Amino acid sequence: MTFNPLEQRGIPLDRQLRNWRELDVKPIDPDHCDPYTRCRIITMNGIEVEAILFSHQLARNTVDPEVKRRLARVRYIEAQQQKVVNWLLPGVSSVLETTIAYEQVAVDLTAWVARMEPDPYLKQAYQFGVLEDFDHLYRYANLYEMIEHRKAESIVDGLTEVIPGRPTKFHHRDPVDNVRDPYAKDETNPLSKLHALTIMSAEQQTMNFYMNVGPTYMEPIARRLYQEIGLIEEEHVTHYESLVDPGETWWEQLVNHEYNECYLYYSFMEQESDPRVKAIWELHLNMELEHLHQACDLMRRHDGREPESVLATELPNVLTFEPNKAYVRELLDTQIDLTTLGAGYVREAHERFEKMQEEIHGGEAPPSERVMAEHDAMFGREYRVQTEGEHPDPALREK
Amino acid sequence: MAELTTPQAGDDHDRDSDVVSLLMRQHGDIRNLFDEVEASTGDERRDAFRRLVRLLAVHETAEEEVVHPFARRGLAGGGQVVEDRLAEEKAAKETLAALDDVDTDDPKFMPQLLALRADVQEHARAEERYEFTHIRRSTDVTNLAAMAKAVRAAEAMAPTRPHPGVESGAANMTLGPVAALMDRTKDAVRRAMGKDG
Repeated sequence: MTFNPLEQRGIPLDRQLRNWRELDVKPIDPDHCDPYTRCRIITMNGIEVEAILFSHQLARNTVDPEVKRRLARVRYIEAQQQKVVNWLLPGVSSVLETTIAYEQVAVDLTAWVARMEPDPYLKQAYQFGVLEDFDHLYRYANLYEMIEHRKAESIVDGLTEVIPGRPTKFHHRDPVDNVRDPYAKDETNPLSKLHALTIMSAEQQTMNFYMNVGPTYMEPIARRLYQEIGLIEEEHVTHYESLVDPGETWWEQLVNHEYNECYLYYSFMEQESDPRVKAIWELHLNMELEHLHQACDLMRRHDGREPESVLATELPNVLTFEPNKAYVRELLDTQIDLTTLGAGYVREAHERFEKMQEEIHGGEAPPSERVMAEHDAMFGREYRVQTEGEHPDPALREK
Repeated sequence: MAELTTPQAGDDHDRDSDVVSLLMRQHGDIRNLFDEVEASTGDERRDAFRRLVRLLAVHETAEEEVVHPFARRGLAGGGQVVEDRLAEEKAAKETLAALDDVDTDDPKFMPQLLALRADVQEHARAEERYEFTHIRRSTDVTNLAAMAKAVRAAEAMAPTRPHPGVESGAANMTLGPVAALMDRTKDAVRRAMGKDG
């Protein structure tokens, strides 16, 4: 089925404002929901947060007060969308439970994008990153069992494995080695632009989340682990944002943002198992279609170009949350010992990497190692969800 | 994959020197037992439900006898916080007592269990956020450890799980009505804390 957002009209902008009653959504049940419903909620929250922040930056770089007003109108609606989406998360979930769900998103979203990405250089960037989020999931899962006596399995529900990835302590690279080369906006596949925007937004939201919730913990090991992984999210945002061609104009970027929101709401509407949540995806899609038209008008007026010249001719294949176990295992088997050097990838621990490692660890075990030691002291074992047999890397099998 | 079970608080190797972290781990143990009841049928479900009832009774009673009095005395505005928690506990106990009269295979059982689960979970998070946080902030390690000890002692007198050497878990869990169990637990907690009833 083809769906072309440029040819559809949605809800007129002056009918999109919702009152308090309409904003007051009933949250999902954390103990009985489809884990991928929660993943879709977390993803769309990240997308809406990026939409809001991007629009603010654009407004700050806009001189024309009339344009500022147009941006403000759409942005207010986007702020309402963010509230509705993120308020689907239940108050009874702990921060750590939500964190584990964030990492499940990072694993299955990035893995799916890596599988579908047509450009080999961009694909490599996602393959590299997913093995790090995968290890974060494992570390947080061990912290979760220590603090709350709950298994991450009750959150990921067998859809995503919880086993070691590239060890977190090795994620700390010299910041210059986190900057990638961008795609070329006029040559790249339009799908690649959507992928880069989606993963950048998701990682940015994760960075924002950890930097704010980390200090709400009282347990020393939890505070430390959020600090360590929070710094890696800074690296990941640097990694993914540098994939986007900085030569895109502000208006072109705005169109890409709105188009991507249409793409994702459409994708999630198509696969949502919770009818109540599905209705929200559908409503928001119908709002986004109008936001897209507004953005297209601005691009035509300010850039003198047709938005069709930068967008896909039809909506790509829907983005799907589904298990990626075999794919992740293949990457564990082949890419676990990679690091970055400049904008490329290498196997050896080069000088700049070694120097960064030495300085940041200061001769001590980092929080991501300590959490495992403390977990072992409490339970005499580690926590894993290993559904597909032994770890592909013999060195990372449970002793 | 070998089925991995999280041991209950007291069976892990934590030193239990902090009453807040001990009770938070018990909150997880309670959720785990709800999962077990939901996932099983027949005698297994009956057995899991008895263990759940027992742990809930002991946990809530220990909180009422050890933690809430401290919060009431030691925290600014503690009185109101404790009143709110006690109201939640009272409601949960009533649901629990009603549920106790329903056979675990009765079609009415599961909807009531799920309602209880939601109430218990909201109550537990409210404690963690509005009571435990303040307890940690306003007392020292000695006091946290003393309260942890009282909770542990209470548990020792009203075991919440089959003990080694007892061949059948079900036999160890023969209980009687919930209300009577709670009264017995309260007596045990008070004895453990050196108080008379």
